[in-house]
Amino acid sequence: MDDLLLSKIRIGIIAELLASDWITFSALQQRLQTTNGNLGAHLGKLIESGYVDELKAFVDRRPQSRYRLTQRGRDAFIAHVREMQAILQGAI
Amino acid sequence: MESQDAREQLELVEKILATSSRALCAGGEFFLAWGVLVAAIDCLNQLVADNVMPVSSLWAVPVLILIGVAFSVWRSMQLAAKHGSMSVLQRDYLNMMFVTMGLTFVAQFAGSSFFAGWGEAAIWNFAGAIVLLFIGVHGNRRAILAGAILIVAMAIANYTPGMPGYVLGAGMLVGYAGFGATELLATE
Repeated sequence: MDDLLLSKIRIGIIAELLASDWITFSALQQRLQTTNGNLGAHLGKLIESGYVDELKAFVDRRPQSRYRLTQRGRDAFIAHVREMQAILQGAI
Repeated sequence: MESQDAREQLELVEKILATSSRALCAGGEFFLAWGVLVAAIDCLNQLVADNVMPVSSLWAVPVLILIGVAFSVWRSMQLAAKHGSMSVLQRDYLNMMFVTMGLTFVAQFAGSSFFAGWGEAAIWNFAGAIVLLFIGVHGNRRAILAGAILIVAMAIANYTPGMPGYVLGAGMLVGYAGFGATELLATE
């Protein structure tokens, strides 16, 4: 079991990124309904583990952070979902 | 991990994936602008072929293309700043559009002896139809109709040797620009 993906916020981030090519910090925050600090801390852990890539750019002279799921993050998510499905099947 | 926790996590993932945007934003303004510009170029070529306008008036063609490129770049930058995310489907659509239009551009110049005369204009209708039909197969019926209009215009132009430029231009105006206008109206 991937401990990093046991957090609901972190698995929520990965699921949001799974359907997106990229997503900004503010859009992610709006979708997950969480605070700046909380989201930033969870994103930091995912970036540190190589699950998420951070791209910083200036849009309309303002700094903007965009996030993208890495192949490592995608593989980890798939493995995690399979393990959860196995747990559920074992429980039936 | 308990089975209850696993169920909750899977439900959360399913909920997020179910609510994630799968709609394809075609960008109506791009279709409207390019449809009008290409129709104008087709008509200008026809007027020159009919000796109504002098050959020197063809200087307007690169000017019209530059206007289209400048508008596309400016509007793309505006949209990129406005949107907070890009779906995987949207990325695939943009890649497909750039590849289709890019290859058509290359074919026109690298294969100019194959696509000579009105063939040069017709391949743009063909490329436009591919883009519209891609949007169409992702659930946009108007795009299927618009793509069909471009193909039909190309077929009619083939059998109307006296006015292929007008027919191809009409196809671009009704099919390509018309689709753009309806997309803009639908998103308002």
